[in-house]
Parts: sequence; structure tokens; C-alpha cells
Amino acid sequence: MRKRTLPLTFLAVLAHALQAQQVGSARGQDVNGYNVINSFETGYRFSSIDGDLGKYRSDVNFRNGIRLLGSSLTVNSKDGRGRLFDELVLQTLGLGNDPYESSTLRLQKNRWYRYDMLWRMNEYYNPGIPIANGQHLLDTRRRLQDHDFTILPQSKFKFRLGYTRNTQDGPALSTIQLFDGRGDEFPLFTNIRRERNEYRVGGDFEFVGIKLHWLQGWDYFKEDTANRLDGLSAGNNSEDRTTLAAFYRAEPYHGSTPFSRVNLRTERKYFAVNARLTYAGGRRNFIMDENAIGTNRLGAAQNRQIVVGGNARRPATTGDFSLSVLPTTRLSVTNSTSISSVRIDGDAVYRELSNASLQATTLQFRFLGIHTTTNMTDTQYRMSDRFWLYTGYHFSTREIRSVESDKDPSFDPFVTAGYQENRQHSGVFGIRIKPLKPVTVTLDGEVGRADTPFFPVSDRNYHALGGRVQLKQKSVLLSAAYREKYNTNSVSLSAHSSRGRNYSFDASWAPAAKFSLDAGYSKMHLDTVSGIAFFGLGNFLQSNSYYVSNLHAANIGVRVASHKRAEFYGGYSITKDVGGSKFALGPLALPPPNTLLFPQEFPLSFQSPLARVSILVRDKLRWNFSWQYYRYSEDFGLFGVGQNYRAHTGYTSLLWAF
Amino acid sequence: MFDNREMGLWLLLFATLFACAQSAPGQAKPPSGIQVKDLGGGFVGSTVCRACHPGQWQNFYKNPHFKSIAAAEAPALSGCEGCHGPGKSHVEAGGGKTTIPRAFSLMEPRQALDTCLSCHSKDFGRVNIRRSQHTLSNVACNSCHSIHKSPVPKFLLAKQQAELCYGCHPTVRAQFSMPFKHRVNEGFIQCSDCHNPHGAFAATWRSGTRPRMVEQALGNEEACMKCHSDKRGPFQFEHAAVRVEGCETCHIPHGSTNAKLLRRPAVLAVCLECHNGAGSFGRQADGITTQSGSHNMFDPRYQKCTTCHVRIHGSNSDPRFLR
Repeated sequence: MRKRTLPLTFLAVLAHALQAQQVGSARGQDVNGYNVINSFETGYRFSSIDGDLGKYRSDVNFRNGIRLLGSSLTVNSKDGRGRLFDELVLQTLGLGNDPYESSTLRLQKNRWYRYDMLWRMNEYYNPGIPIANGQHLLDTRRRLQDHDFTILPQSKFKFRLGYTRNTQDGPALSTIQLFDGRGDEFPLFTNIRRERNEYRVGGDFEFVGIKLHWLQGWDYFKEDTANRLDGLSAGNNSEDRTTLAAFYRAEPYHGSTPFSRVNLRTERKYFAVNARLTYAGGRRNFIMDENAIGTNRLGAAQNRQIVVGGNARRPATTGDFSLSVLPTTRLSVTNSTSISSVRIDGDAVYRELSNASLQATTLQFRFLGIHTTTNMTDTQYRMSDRFWLYTGYHFSTREIRSVESDKDPSFDPFVTAGYQENRQHSGVFGIRIKPLKPVTVTLDGEVGRADTPFFPVSDRNYHALGGRVQLKQKSVLLSAAYREKYNTNSVSLSAHSSRGRNYSFDASWAPAAKFSLDAGYSKMHLDTVSGIAFFGLGNFLQSNSYYVSNLHAANIGVRVASHKRAEFYGGYSITKDVGGSKFALGPLALPPPNTLLFPQEFPLSFQSPLARVSILVRDKLRWNFSWQYYRYSEDFGLFGVGQNYRAHTGYTSLLWAF
Repeated sequence: MFDNREMGLWLLLFATLFACAQSAPGQAKPPSGIQVKDLGGGFVGSTVCRACHPGQWQNFYKNPHFKSIAAAEAPALSGCEGCHGPGKSHVEAGGGKTTIPRAFSLMEPRQALDTCLSCHSKDFGRVNIRRSQHTLSNVACNSCHSIHKSPVPKFLLAKQQAELCYGCHPTVRAQFSMPFKHRVNEGFIQCSDCHNPHGAFAATWRSGTRPRMVEQALGNEEACMKCHSDKRGPFQFEHAAVRVEGCETCHIPHGSTNAKLLRRPAVLAVCLECHNGAGSFGRQADGITTQSGSHNMFDPRYQKCTTCHVRIHGSNSDPRFLR
């Protein structure tokens, strides 16, 4: 026994030693002073869905078809003195027809230039069943691309050029309510077309240790979504006599936001200064021409045209100044002051024209101004090699001014002008202890008070406490954390209280390159009580809205490899909201708004096991197979709608690396 | 005890292990042929380091830090000694971590931060790192970045970005695994699209003190507006919830079990919990207006507020956001 065991032990040690040596081993092919590494993974993705397809597409959205699942190309100059470039990195993900596609490119030549590109596409489908019975459906594609070009990137004088484009287009549904506040709602087809283009130019300069960063940008946004309805529509509510025979709306909405940013900073031995000034002058021009023909809720013929035109401006200025003092290697003190000023104003003309009664023209524009001053002081002190602490005091004051009226000011000179000021003070405290070398304990807390918060659900009297213990020893990482946030914002006529508690436990074990295990569990508890008021059957009702959620989330993943020949990954994740059984009176079956008058719980589960296998077929060629199952199950029927589904998805692919 | 065949195997194994140990990184003494020339200040140049650390050196030309070597900058600003300090004492001692002037695995977080900032403070994205929550919590550069063994091609991260963040923020992993979520696990967006792990400027929404790690869009706005620019405005009639307190008033940005990432499954709960007319809230400090008396909330048609109030983020033509 002994004779056989010892050589095996040594072989294991040898294998480990050889493996360690492989770190940094050469890969790819050397061509003309460049190292080239390339790989493509292409295959077929499949999916089989049973249940609510719309909900599946909203959550997951993988479908059938051939895909270029991933590719990677890196070209590196071996001496850093390539002729045209020194590094080229190109990676793609999901090209072909996956709902999530991306491509990144980096091209650079040392000292001369650097170019970064990021392109992304998301095919987003959401039936919006709980929002508007499926009448707010979205089937759009959003494409994002960012380009950044830096000239002389390693110099003290560098220049930057940038371009960002963001588009969203595709068919969608919306709704329109006609012809007055008690009228009926009608589904409306829309074809979304939104586009944002941003151009940037800037640079960095360094002089006697002071760094100056400046950026000038121009942001252009336009939306030309088309809305129309041809033919008679009876509306959503059969009892309502409102009908719509024809509807047309055009509302082009274009605008620009030029912005400027200047930043000065310096890092010295005993202090660091960081100052920034930003100005953004947002402006939007809009026109709406809406024409609706039909009958109102009393059955009278309607032919109404609404014309709105004008522009809105939102200049926003922000100044930030931070001073960090580093008197000793143990102590650092940072004070930051920020002032933000946003004003939203403009002018617009609202004209509503009825063929029956030439209604009055209303001219109005709301003003909203927000001025916020924030000051934060944070101190970090290292008492010993095993004990650190930080404390801080944060203060902010916010003034909100507004003018609002729905009426024509020529008839309503008493336009309401509002003013509200809100101050918030908070103190933070945290310690970090290393009782043993592999163990770290972190505790932190924050207590805050606000005098006149803006919303009933805003932070008023709140505290947040958190703690984390982490053990990191060679191949093992264990951590456990707890965090809670309690907030009460109760006034004489209403109460609001929220209590959130999060527990989490994570483990990671990677004893060898061939094996790793990751697992985690989180519990997120939230219960809130909020005062509500509404009209029901002609009565004004006041009550409380109770909401309770107990979300359990767990994940586990195991990876096993065999000498690069085969690799297996298995995983499972589950999110389960069990509601709050100790509060609830029973399963949620009451129609809204009665749902708000009793403890609301929405139990559901979303789980997804997965398995992946990768086998080396030939040198530089691997076969991959992946399977993932999704199951969504909700145990409530909000508004009488169930959206459960089950789906098997996966792919089989070949990965060619050379 | 052993037969000749086994003895031969043992000798072979021993010889192989010895050879491996000689070439393993950080284990060897400098080969006797190497000329250690002091370039001034105790610097010896990266080529000397290469002799004992071939593993680190072999692919170092792919490392962003190789630029300094290619540019033939002075040893104090380039290559191994640019980060680790002058290597003469380390070479003369025949290796050992304690003889490296700046051995990151032995350094305090503040020391690691200071060392990296000696070059990287010039980058605008890192200017707030002194006051960031990560720095206050002793999360230093090498907590997230792996300079020599990064498995990802960008930013020398120690893991894929999302996995890296999940390591300390496990509840965020759970949120991104929910039915409705931003597509982080799917690779469409990344944590750093919204957050600046090196610290952000004060928020221009909410009270300004929180959140501290959310990066503003370039126009001083909440990060959400980078992508959702149609919600940006300015609008003739702004919904103050968006502009004053920010998107998080109604939405949970990471992930939610509720449609549209709303805070409540039922839309009317989101609306009614603010629009209750009570207290000193709102623009005039006299409460957020209650709904109209024409709404009978027991009638299902009134229970999905956004069916009529379609432009809830802001409107140019209707103060009640009806169009």
C-alpha cells in the first residue's frame, strides 16, 4: 500500500508544480513580431417554452437559431513597438440573433493613440400585463455604442474624442384616455423611434503636479414616435359610451444638451485636492398635434384637436470640491462640498380646439427649481495593523421652488408658488478588524434625520446597520453578512415605516484548477406600512397599505475539469418570495384596492438549474453543450392574471481556438 | 526496500521536481551569470527580474503596464520596479517577499492605494477614490485588480466584473437573478455602467449624500438617463418624483420580482403610498395631492393608474401626464 501511495503523492505534487509553471505560458502564434490568439464559438441555440410566452420573453428571451455565441481575437506586439498598433482586442458575444449582443474593440499604439469601442444590443419584449392589461406592450430593440479615441494617452497633454449613440426602436402599444377625465381608455399602436447622439471633445493637461481635465460635449436627442388608430374602437369599458372613430397624433420631440466640465486635481504627500465644475444646458423643443374623432361619454359627437408647441429648458450647474488631508500614514480626513442647482422652465402654448365649443386656450408652464448643498466629512484611522475605523458626518440642505397651475394665468392670477426646504443630517461609523490574518470583520452604521422630506416614503428618521465576516484562507473564501435599514416617516395624518433586513452567506472553494465550488444564500426581508387615501364609491377613505416580502435567493455552481480534456459546470439558482405568512390573513384573492387594506404578499418562485459540458475533440477544437431550465411560478393572481411558464433552453456549439 | 526500477523512478521524480522548483516563480535564487548593475537608487532594471520570474515576464508584453517598458522610461517609472520599488536589495538577498520594497501582498490597503495613485491619479475616473466608500472600508486596488494574473482583457480585473462585485455584495447577485432585472448576468450591461467603484461625485438627486458610488451621467443627472434618455426631459410638466428624489422612488434598479422593476407589484400601491395628501410633503409642503374624486378605486378601470397617466415620467402637454 505504502509503495503505491507515495509515488502517487509525488505525482500529484509534480502535477501541481508543472501546473504552477504553466502560469504565464505562451499561447497563440507569433507572426511578424505580434502574438495572435483567436477563437470562435458557433452553434445552435434552442428553446422550448411552455406557459406564458410573453413573460418568458420578458425575463429570458432566448430563442432558436444559429449563433456566433462568442469570439475573441487578440493581437499583441511582443516588443511594444508595433508599426501601426501594439494591441488589438476584439470580443463578441451573442451575435446572430441572441437578445443580448455585444462587441468590444480596443486598438492602441503605445504613446500615440488608444481607441475603445463598445457596441451592445438588447431585444426587449415586455407585455406589461400587470401594468395595463397588456396594452403597454413593448417589442423594441435598444442599441448602444460608445467610441472613445485618446491621442497621446501616456503624455501629460492628451486629447480625447468621443461619440455615443443610443437608439430604441420597434413596435409598441400605449393607451389614450378620451374625451375628459371620466372618459374611456383606448389602446393605441405606436412605433417607437428614439435616438440620442452625443459628441465629446476634451483633454488632460498636467502642469507642476496639477492636473486639468476638460470636456465639452453636445448631446442631441430626438423622438419621432408615431401614434395612430384607424377605424372604430369601443374602448376598454363596455359601459362607457365613449367611442373613437379616428385618432391621429404626431409629436416630434427634439432637443440638445450641451455640457462642459472642468476638473482640477492634485495629489501631494500630505493632501489631495479635487475640484470640478459642470454645466449642462438641457433644452427640448416640441410640438404635438392630436386629433380625435368620436363620441364622448354622454354620446355626443366629438371632433377635438389639441395643438401644443413650445420648448423647455433645464440648465443644471454643479460644483464639487474635495480636500483630503493625509497628516500621517495612519490618518486620512476628507471633506467634500457639492452644490447643485437645477432649474426647469420654458414656455409653451396649449390650444384645445373643439368643433362644438371652441374651447379656451390655456397657456401655462410649470417651474421647478432644485438647489442642493451637500457637505460630507469622513475620517479614516488605522489604529493598528489589525484595527481600522472610520467616522463621518454628512449634511445636506435642499431647496425646492415650484410654480404650478393648470389654468390660464390670464384667468388665474393666483398661480401657486411652492417652496420647500429639506435638511438632512447623518452620521456614519465603521470599524474593520482582523483578529486573525485570514479573518476580516467589518461593522458599519449610519443614523440620519431629515426635517421635511419630500415624499411620505422618503428617508426621515432612519438607521442602517451592517456587518460582515470574511474568512479567506488559501482556496477557501467564506463570508457572512447582515444589513438592515429601518426608516420611519410618520406625520400627524399618515404613517410610513419600512424595515428591510438582508442576510447573506457565501462560500467559495477552489482547491485546484480542476475543481471549484461557489454557493450563496441571501434572504431579503422588507415590510412596510404606508398611509393611503383614495376615493371609493364616492367616499373618501383613509387606511394603511401593508406590504411584506420575504425573498430567499440561493445559488450554487460546481466546476470540474479533467486535464483540459473535459470540463463540466453545473449550477442552480432560485429566487423565492414566500410572502409574510405571519402577517397575512390568507392568500391574496381580494381585488384592489382592498389588496392595500390587508397585508399584501405576492409569493412566487423563479428557479433555473443549468449544466454545461465542454470536451476537447481535437487540438484547438472543443465541443460545448449547455442546458438551462427556467421555471417561473407565481402563487397569486394579481388582477386575475397568471404568468407562469417553464422553458428549456440551451445550445450546442464548437469552439475553435488558434 | 525499493527495487532498482522504483529507485530509478524516485530519482527521476526528484530530479524533475528539483528542476521545476528552480524555474518556479519567486522560488529561485538569481542565476550566477546575471550581472546586477545598479542603475542608481538601487534600481536594477526589469531584465534582472526576468531571470528569476520568467512566469511573470513571459506574457507581460500583453499587460498594460508593459507600455512603460516599451517606452523605455526610467526604472523608477517603468516595469517591475515602477510598482515594486528598487530591486537591488531583493536580488542581493536572493529573493524573498520581505526584501521587496513594495510587496503588495504585504502592504496595508492605504499603501497599495498610494502606490497605484502615484501614476493613476491622473485618470479622471479615479479622482474620488480618497473619499469613496470602498477606500473607507479598506477595499484597495489589489482587492479587485490582479496585475499579473488577470483573466479578463480589460482593466486587469481579478474576475469578470459582475463576479467580482458579487463577491462582496451577494444580495446584488440575488437581485440580478430575479425575473425582472437589468441584464448584467447576460452580459448586456455591467456594474460600472452605473457605478464608479473608485468613488463618484455627490449625487445631484435625492439629498446628495446618498448614493455615493453611483456615477452621474455627463449632464449632472442620475445614471439611469445614460440609457433611458427619453425619460430625461426637460418636460413642460415634470413629475417631481423623477427629478427631485430620483428614479429609485418608484423603481428598484438592480432587479425585482415586479414588472418594470417597480417597488410594488400593483401600480396603484406605488402611487397611493405617496399621493395621500398628508403631512408637509410635496412642492408646497402641504402634502402630495390625492387622486381626483372622480376616481372610484373599487372600479378596476381606475386601479392601473398608468393606463391613463401614460406619461408618468413627464409630459409636455398635460399636467396630469395623460398624454
